[in-house]
Amino acid sequence: MKKLLTILCLVLISTSFVFAQGGNEKTTVAQKSNEPVTIDLWYGAAVTEAGPVPSDWVGYQIIKDKLNIDLKLTALPSNDADQDVKIQAAGAANNLPDLFMVSRKVLTNLVKQGLVANVDSYYAQMPNRTAIQYDADSMKQSTINGHSYGFASPGSIAKNEGLLIRKDWLDKLGLAVPTTADEFFAVCKAFTTQDPDGNGKNDTYGFGGYVEVDATLRGYPGSRFFPIMGAFGVDGLWSFDSATAGLNIYKPEFYDFMVYLKKMCDEGVIDPNWLSYKKDDFRAAWKQGKFGIMKEQNAAFAASSNYAPFDKNFPEGSWVICDPFKGPNGDASIGAFDMNFRIYAVSTTADKAGKGDAIARLLEWMSSEEGYFLLGWGVEGVNFVKDTNGIPVAGDLGDKAFTGSIGQTVTQLRNMVFYNGDTELASRYPTYITATSGKEMSALKVLREMQSKTWTNNVGAGTMPTANADVKRFYEQSLAEFLTGKTALTQANWAKFITEFNNVGGKTWNDQGVAYMKENNLI
Amino acid sequence: MNQKTKTLRPVVQNKKVKLTSSDKVFNYLVNTFMVLTFLIIFIPVWSTITLSFRPNDYIGTNLEGMFLPFWRWSTDAYKALLGNNGFISAFLNSIKILIGGVASSLFLTIPLAYCLSIKTLPGRKFLNYTIVIPYVFNVGIIPVYLLIVAVGLVNKLPSVYLPGAISTYNCIIMRQFFEGIPGELKESAKIDGCSEIQILFKIILPLSKAIVMTIGLYYAVTFWNDFFNAMLYLNDSYLQPLPILLRNILMASGMNEYVEVNAFGNAPISAIKAASVFLSAIPMLMAYPFIQKYFTKGTLLGSVKG
Repeated sequence: MKKLLTILCLVLISTSFVFAQGGNEKTTVAQKSNEPVTIDLWYGAAVTEAGPVPSDWVGYQIIKDKLNIDLKLTALPSNDADQDVKIQAAGAANNLPDLFMVSRKVLTNLVKQGLVANVDSYYAQMPNRTAIQYDADSMKQSTINGHSYGFASPGSIAKNEGLLIRKDWLDKLGLAVPTTADEFFAVCKAFTTQDPDGNGKNDTYGFGGYVEVDATLRGYPGSRFFPIMGAFGVDGLWSFDSATAGLNIYKPEFYDFMVYLKKMCDEGVIDPNWLSYKKDDFRAAWKQGKFGIMKEQNAAFAASSNYAPFDKNFPEGSWVICDPFKGPNGDASIGAFDMNFRIYAVSTTADKAGKGDAIARLLEWMSSEEGYFLLGWGVEGVNFVKDTNGIPVAGDLGDKAFTGSIGQTVTQLRNMVFYNGDTELASRYPTYITATSGKEMSALKVLREMQSKTWTNNVGAGTMPTANADVKRFYEQSLAEFLTGKTALTQANWAKFITEFNNVGGKTWNDQGVAYMKENNLI
Repeated sequence: MNQKTKTLRPVVQNKKVKLTSSDKVFNYLVNTFMVLTFLIIFIPVWSTITLSFRPNDYIGTNLEGMFLPFWRWSTDAYKALLGNNGFISAFLNSIKILIGGVASSLFLTIPLAYCLSIKTLPGRKFLNYTIVIPYVFNVGIIPVYLLIVAVGLVNKLPSVYLPGAISTYNCIIMRQFFEGIPGELKESAKIDGCSEIQILFKIILPLSKAIVMTIGLYYAVTFWNDFFNAMLYLNDSYLQPLPILLRNILMASGMNEYVEVNAFGNAPISAIKAASVFLSAIPMLMAYPFIQKYFTKGTLLGSVKG
């Protein structure tokens, strides 16, 4: 035991020397004008699991030489909730970084506490970036009480999902693409009962999905069911139509949708695992030929690495993007969409320390041609090459290409410069020939086709008031119980559910939402 | 009178005891319960292991995948993870936090528990209250964060383990154990001229291997799995330990909008997740058999007084 204690003491002493590393003390603007200004940037990584920006990234030196800025980068956690906790804890300790990514909800709280700077005057200092990235919708996202408190850059691509159906199954069974709810059901039934894959087993379903919900746009059962909900005019959590403004659950058509979906569940034409699937399970399932109709994202469907397993399993298989089918009242929609933004805020501490000019210079440089390509794709010849159209492609650069395991680390800041422009999309979604079946695929063509379909405009849904946990749980659990048969889906039970929903706080939530819509001209 | 006394002799069991029907039923129920418990524990573990070796071209359900023959297993997920610099770096950071955390925790907890076990300590009752009350009424994140910032530990590895270096619960268990050591031993050491520190190191601790190992294991598991402190206090990605990377892997595949790229090559995402869970559990699995003999004895020691 004496030996053990001696070792313990030695380890403890050594840890204080060996493990005390790092150090991220706050700095102020350089006393002398020629010393670099240190800017502490907490960013949202593009591909978090790929790893952080390497310490020898060429961008650090370029930014130091050209802008006289010593950039310190910190990757925020990948999960929104963890990001919020980290930012809020730093805010409570008045230890926010100079420039950081923040959600609108947290930004609103930080503004109330005076921890975030008013950036109205910054836009004039970065005209190029403002012209490219900050339009009227973007400004709305970061405007609180009439002033801008952050820079809202365009987020993920909107309307990038579509309703896909197995064309080879349709052809085998002599069916056409469904255009009405009845036809859709009939096709689902045929896919389930008539062995469309011809393997002699009863192992296929008509429709596949999973519960993909959020607090503001994707109401239960989630966006994978939007085309079905759209046929009844109830896609999206909220209705922004002036005649029916409020939660879609209050519309009588929502009950009709529930009856339709319940029928799909009862007749077994929907993959029963939809209640338990996670995103990866769902994606594995369609690649395994489990179901013939789904709503999927363009790149998750058509990008080379994602389509390859399906192509290998079913070389003769093919999917077609179809129009949304019409419901009993003639409604049709692929789904509700919103524009999302990534907001970067400046801390009051940084603003008072005089770092505003440096921050504006940094952001403006990021949107210059040099910054756009460096942050978006890396170094030409090392991480990307340009094709004949001037589009960055991976070429034969292997792991160092911007798509490779090494290249992905140097482009972790790409979300600060991308704005879903043509160059980016053409680069992200190159046309290629599939390895097994030799088909020509292009996630970009798929995207354009998906965006051309009928969608329900729910822009602004992301800023709507959210329900408290009890209301949300009651809402989702009750609907799940109806669909699984635990509660009989009858008009009486539905009316009872609505009454109880109102009592637990649903009515209050709805009224808050309608008031918010009116205040912010969302209706 | 010469009364024959009946001497009691030990009964030697040289033949099997015949079980009654109720004994058989009881044994059957116990065996069934143990088998069910084993299955409840084993099935998820086996599912994770088989999922981590799932090949990219596998077609079938997860249940069928649990019976996939060994020759079809693929090590792509493990190769991708172990070949990833971030994973190795995170693993090493976790090891550093584990060693530093366990060392500092034991170094602080043992003297505190011993002092509180001394019945003649002035203000002992008051000290006990000052330790128990904060344990019951948790101050939350912000005061601790303010303290960490004030002492300049932000973005340093000790910020992960120092806030939780003394666990009140563990300290109380250890104190109870020390109180159970006969006072005569300490008295005889005092008579021989030992100071309190000498008594602690020469008398008490040699008798306390079980509890030290047990509490050490509790701390080790806590620090190995700690995600929250690392997420909050460590900004530099190169300092981040395995739980952070694991969470990024598990969460990010559902959130990554760049679904056209896979950060880990061609291994299926589900296999990557399962492999990362399994790899991060390996150190604890390897350490536990060595500590088990102390652990089983130690968990009960603090609960028995007198």
